[in-house]
Amino acid sequence: MLIRDIMRSPAIAISAETTLQDAYRTMRERGIRHLPVVEGEKLVGVVTDRDLRLATSALVPSPFSPDSRVSAVMSSAPLTADASDPVEDAARTMRELKIGCLPVLDDGRLIGIVTGLDLLDALMRLTGVHKPSGRLEVRLPDHPGELARLTSFVSHRDLNIHSILTYPEGPDSVRTVLRIGSIETGLLAEDLRRAGFDVLWPPEKPCPR
Amino acid sequence: MPSVIYAPAYRRYSFGDEHPFSPVRTDMVLDLLGALGHRVDTVEPEPATREDLLDVHQNAYVCRVEKLSAGALVPDGQEYGLGTQDTPSFPGMDEAARWLVGGTLHGARLISEGRETRVLQLGGGLHHARRSVASGFCIYNDLAIAINFLTRNGLKVAYLDIDVHHCDGVQEILNEDPRVLTVSLHESGKYLFPGTGEIRELGAGAGRGLKLNLPLEPFTEGASYLEVLEQVIPAALRHFRPDVLVVQAGADAHFDDPLSDLMLTTRDYEAIFRRILAWADDFTASRVLFTLGGGYSFRAAPRVWAILYLVLHDLHVARDLPESWRSKWSHTSENELPQTFHDPNPSHADIPNRYEIAHRNRQVAERLLDLARQYWFQK
Ligand SMILES: [Zn+2]
Repeated sequence: MLIRDIMRSPAIAISAETTLQDAYRTMRERGIRHLPVVEGEKLVGVVTDRDLRLATSALVPSPFSPDSRVSAVMSSAPLTADASDPVEDAARTMRELKIGCLPVLDDGRLIGIVTGLDLLDALMRLTGVHKPSGRLEVRLPDHPGELARLTSFVSHRDLNIHSILTYPEGPDSVRTVLRIGSIETGLLAEDLRRAGFDVLWPPEKPCPR
Repeated sequence: MPSVIYAPAYRRYSFGDEHPFSPVRTDMVLDLLGALGHRVDTVEPEPATREDLLDVHQNAYVCRVEKLSAGALVPDGQEYGLGTQDTPSFPGMDEAARWLVGGTLHGARLISEGRETRVLQLGGGLHHARRSVASGFCIYNDLAIAINFLTRNGLKVAYLDIDVHHCDGVQEILNEDPRVLTVSLHESGKYLFPGTGEIRELGAGAGRGLKLNLPLEPFTEGASYLEVLEQVIPAALRHFRPDVLVVQAGADAHFDDPLSDLMLTTRDYEAIFRRILAWADDFTASRVLFTLGGGYSFRAAPRVWAILYLVLHDLHVARDLPESWRSKWSHTSENELPQTFHDPNPSHADIPNRYEIAHRNRQVAERLLDLARQYWFQK
């Protein structure tokens, strides 16, 4: 999954000459919190609703007036993303630097924007939670062939895997989270346990039938 | 006398002998009632028309069901949830599914025309079917079609879903409808298919605050179930003031059900059915339409639905199951069929953390009501 698959495009942008008041109105009307600031086609900054509220707050020693230009309060030279970046790279950048959005550039031209919410949407798509499904979590030994053993077990039952995520857990094991497109996920979990898989989810019944 | 709707053609809604959604379960109900000496008079409906389906389903979807039904190949069937492991295609599936829709629709018609108050449709309850996706054994959404029929005829509908799975299809179709209250009690989507039915869903647009979801902890027992039911349903009905109840009476919250993890007993079901009938008396001038639904234990589901029939007809639930019935259907289950109508007491091993489970369910019900009331008392 790449940035181009999740970005909002075209991005709503404003010019550096826009007043704080107008920028705030744009955010309110569009229901957004981040605005790229452009001069012509060139990206020159990003302004957030937090920037605006801080700049005009009565709590700061010399607040800006609503007529000031956004260029005075924006972050200049913002970090950007490329449409062909993997989403996880954007997530890492945003998390490490604690920023809420990345404008997406193509040849220096603003073509879109990715925010924290878009990354949450991406997470939902990656986990397959949009489709009617049951969730399965399995701990696998961290060596070759284990994941294949699990997925072939599922495919032998002709069940469709909507999503599969695997992440390292300890030195010797990985955890695999699957969403199975079947109402019979519970039976599958029982069968997997019987076949020796370490199924962590759904939890085992406390009393046998 | 309540009306019971059934047609032998319902039996054609069958995905094969190994599939859990088996018409044998209804055969067992009818046979059990007969063996107990009850004469079950059934009303035979007409199958629903194509037009009836198009009220909630998209034409492209219905076309694909029809093609598969006629034995044609549909290369993109999987995209519509058709021909999957859960919902395999079979010859005649379109007509078979239309029979079930027709039955539920007929029940709605009897009630809206004032010819009947209590109706039991011995089939249907296909609450997972989406506008254009088959899912979880469900092809056409008989419930949404019947509910729309009722609202078009000026009735406000309260839909109550006690199937162990969330009614994602019904909710999707009626999500913005202000004339329909839906309440679903189900095992939490964290643990069980289809994964939805969180308390925050609540509906959209004009329907906001009217789609209530009560996700329950795995291994929830009857006492806790009845407690949260009592917490939520009367409050919701008092607010909404429906004209009719539509109840999807799935039997898969029974502890013996192979597909899920709630722990209801037949006695709990009897208590639930009695409460629902009392609410119908209090809130909807006794107008209530029951359908069947999920319920995959041959040892449990037939008894649950026979109890529904008996309670609906103010008949006594016998102590023992007839020996003739037990031997006739013994092949349906690996374990012996029970000897008594009701589950023994205690019916299953102790649930170690039952108080914690009950506590969490209570809190979820409170949070649900808090969230919903924000919308109820907005205007
Ligand atoms: Zn169910």
